[in-house]
Amino acid sequence: MNAMNTTALKTTPPPARATLDGGATLLVEESHALPLVSIVIALRSGSAFDPPGKEGLARIVGRMLRRGSETMKAHAIEDALDRLGGEMSIDLSASSLAVQAQVIGRNLEPFIELLAQLLGTPTFPEDELSRLKRETQAEILEARDNDRSLATYAFRKALFTGHPYGRSSLGTTASTGSITEADARAFYTRHFARANALVAFAGDVTLDQARVLGDKLLARLRVGERIADPVAAPAVVKGRKLFLVDKPDRTQTQILIGGLGTWPHDDDHVAIGVANAIFGGTFTSRLMKAVRSERGWSYGAYARLAVDRQRQSFSMWTFPSATDAAPCIALELELLQAWIDRGVTGEELDFIKQYLIRSQCFEVDTAPKRLHQAIDIEILTLPADYHSGYAAKVAEVTVEAANAAVKRRISTDDLAIVVVGTASDIREGIEKAIPNLAETTVTPFDAET
Amino acid sequence: MKVDPRADALARLNASAESANAKWSFDGATPFGEAPDAAPVRRYRLGNGLRLLFLEDASAPVVSYFTWYAVGSRHERPGKTGLAHFFEHLMFNETEARKAGEFDKLLEENGAESNAATWVDWTYYYESLPSDRFALAVTLESERMAKLVLREPQVASEKEVVANERRYRVDDDVEGAANELLYKTAFTKHPYHWPTIGWMPDILGYTPVDCERFYKTYYAPNNAVIIVVGDVREETVLREVRDAYGKLSSSVIPAEDCEPEPPQREVREVEIKKPTATEKLLVGYHGPALGDADHAALTLLSEIMFGGRASRAHRSMVIEKEMASEVRGWVSTFHDPGLFEMFATAREGHQTRELLTALDREIDRVKRDVVLEDELVRAKARLELGTLQSLESTSGKAEVIGFYELILGDPSGVFRRLDVYRRVTAGDIRKAARRYLRDGARTIVRVVPDEDDDEEAREAAQ
Repeated sequence: MNAMNTTALKTTPPPARATLDGGATLLVEESHALPLVSIVIALRSGSAFDPPGKEGLARIVGRMLRRGSETMKAHAIEDALDRLGGEMSIDLSASSLAVQAQVIGRNLEPFIELLAQLLGTPTFPEDELSRLKRETQAEILEARDNDRSLATYAFRKALFTGHPYGRSSLGTTASTGSITEADARAFYTRHFARANALVAFAGDVTLDQARVLGDKLLARLRVGERIADPVAAPAVVKGRKLFLVDKPDRTQTQILIGGLGTWPHDDDHVAIGVANAIFGGTFTSRLMKAVRSERGWSYGAYARLAVDRQRQSFSMWTFPSATDAAPCIALELELLQAWIDRGVTGEELDFIKQYLIRSQCFEVDTAPKRLHQAIDIEILTLPADYHSGYAAKVAEVTVEAANAAVKRRISTDDLAIVVVGTASDIREGIEKAIPNLAETTVTPFDAET
Repeated sequence: MKVDPRADALARLNASAESANAKWSFDGATPFGEAPDAAPVRRYRLGNGLRLLFLEDASAPVVSYFTWYAVGSRHERPGKTGLAHFFEHLMFNETEARKAGEFDKLLEENGAESNAATWVDWTYYYESLPSDRFALAVTLESERMAKLVLREPQVASEKEVVANERRYRVDDDVEGAANELLYKTAFTKHPYHWPTIGWMPDILGYTPVDCERFYKTYYAPNNAVIIVVGDVREETVLREVRDAYGKLSSSVIPAEDCEPEPPQREVREVEIKKPTATEKLLVGYHGPALGDADHAALTLLSEIMFGGRASRAHRSMVIEKEMASEVRGWVSTFHDPGLFEMFATAREGHQTRELLTALDREIDRVKRDVVLEDELVRAKARLELGTLQSLESTSGKAEVIGFYELILGDPSGVFRRLDVYRRVTAGDIRKAARRYLRDGARTIVRVVPDEDDDEEAREAAQ
């Protein structure tokens, strides 16, 4: 590697760590720069636990926390959150359900009292549950207005057919309609347990304060047990398959092309991440240069490797006009093939190492960002040095290791190619642009799935 | 008289200046925070008119460098709309000193983040860098302030990219299209009539001559403000910026030539069809400018009506009547009077006419009765939280400083505004509601599903 500023390799100390009553992990990242405190209560259970036919259950349970507690009705809860200058939302993935909250520092104690009550004594009132189900069904309908989310969902579904990663955490109209109070209570009772939780604070709070507040937060939860991840490694979907999501009047398309990618415990996880950054991870990447800078076909062009407890996706994302969709797909497939066949160069590798190592400071420049790195490690069971050792590992990646990782992990034969657009305008051209296309599936954008 | 403790250092720096353009003057300091002893934003001005605002922040080894230009879409002319935004693209291209692509490559190689934004009143460019790379931002920004290359290939290639951006943000986006139509209809004379991204025929028609003329007029040190926030020494900042920009000449910035928007005296209603499952409603009332006395009261009113699940419109239209899946409100934060926008998405089976009736009920209520004290307390707390959240990073602080400096001439304006919010009374809010929410002078945009397209799509899929 090139000579590099070694100060960039310095790591920030991890957040303070303790164990709360009942076994929950506590993480604290102090910063008194602003009178603001961020609080995360993360469970090691996400939408992957939605039973078949009840997709959307984890999300409904998370959102029901603010719709009725032992002593407060939904309206009173909303008023109290606002009055304290607090915010609370649910962040849901296949592997985790996290309550994310922020509050003005002076109101931290009463805010924790409120959160403790919401976490520990939800009542799941029938009228509120019915209302939330109807709200969710309306959101499912509204999501069809957004072509990018249509593409994202279709891509996940195509790539992870039958696997929990392929399901929508939002659920479907039918699955959310079937969720009962008993379903919600059963999910809550099993997963909202101290041994399955992590509590984290960032901002204007001390470790001693956080210990007391953390215990208060979880005091009304049962101890329970840490829940094992139910998700198996996903299988490869064979062949090149085109999935057209047909929507009228599209002047533009949304295109996602990809297959399986990386797993955080792979020996070549960092190497493929480095190679992907060269291919499509920055504004000067190969993909961006060819698609946007040289041809002006798409406002953005990126390649991404998703990370979860099991192997996740590799994807290329572009959004060219309808007339450029077919040549854009052909170009992306050529670039992908060249990346696998010929790999990256030493010059490209030296450049991207500088970028990845030097830009690490922006991963840890605020207390909430530092905290979220530590939460990821706990919740996604990442290697302990996943973030702290990242820069040093990047520095060690060789051209040979990067190219071997690409060859091993990325396929051009097994690809899901998802396009949102007006099928009658673009189908023929796109099918011609994809050599060895095995099959095409056309789905109306408003089809219930 | 107070003597600035750094005056000697400044005098030494100015003694080595090569010309009057390269001499700094100190324009004062203002605490960036509510406490009088909060770290100050220090304000300087170069001889060529370039303003510099500096806030030292050693909380992380990073620095954010924002360059705000006092040019936005309101400075454009019909037929050339979108030019200000077009520069947001051109400015990442070739300069006399750098080949195309070199700008981004250099920044990435040094671990920097960079981007830009354009709106009706302003354009900004920013770099956030590891603090030991500060000088790179100064070099690159000073080069593209004066030495951008604007030839046919650069202009042609970026026109395609911007046309695609417009398709993404407006033509194929239901809300983007509706919002564009709202401003197009509500404003007839003032340049807020046209969208910041520009009309498509205008975008496709830009020439290098158009670009050159715009660049020479608005991209000059006396039309820019640099904001530096981060872990760098003030003396370093002053020296680097002086060395890079001190040789640039100021330009003659044309006097503002915006037609004020004449009062709207009628209801304007428009409808568009889109491939969407549900109807959408946008209502716009002409509102105050950010600097007007009523702006804070109207912002609090928007919060009480639309801010969060406990707000009046959300509670009534989304939760109780279940006629809407979403409601939102926003009072534009523009230099000139903008709009108080209200947006609602109908639930399936409901129509915009029902949404409008429900919205009108809430509007009548705030004009008739004063809001409750508890509602006011909650709205103020929400705005305070939002303010704190915007200040978590160096780039967040730099953006807030630049915005308030450019629109109100006050880099700490965000804190002044918090103080004003605290003093707003329920009576102020009712007065603002009565003044601005005038039934006979509003603009209504309805989005309705295009049923024909829906059927065609189904047939094609079969």
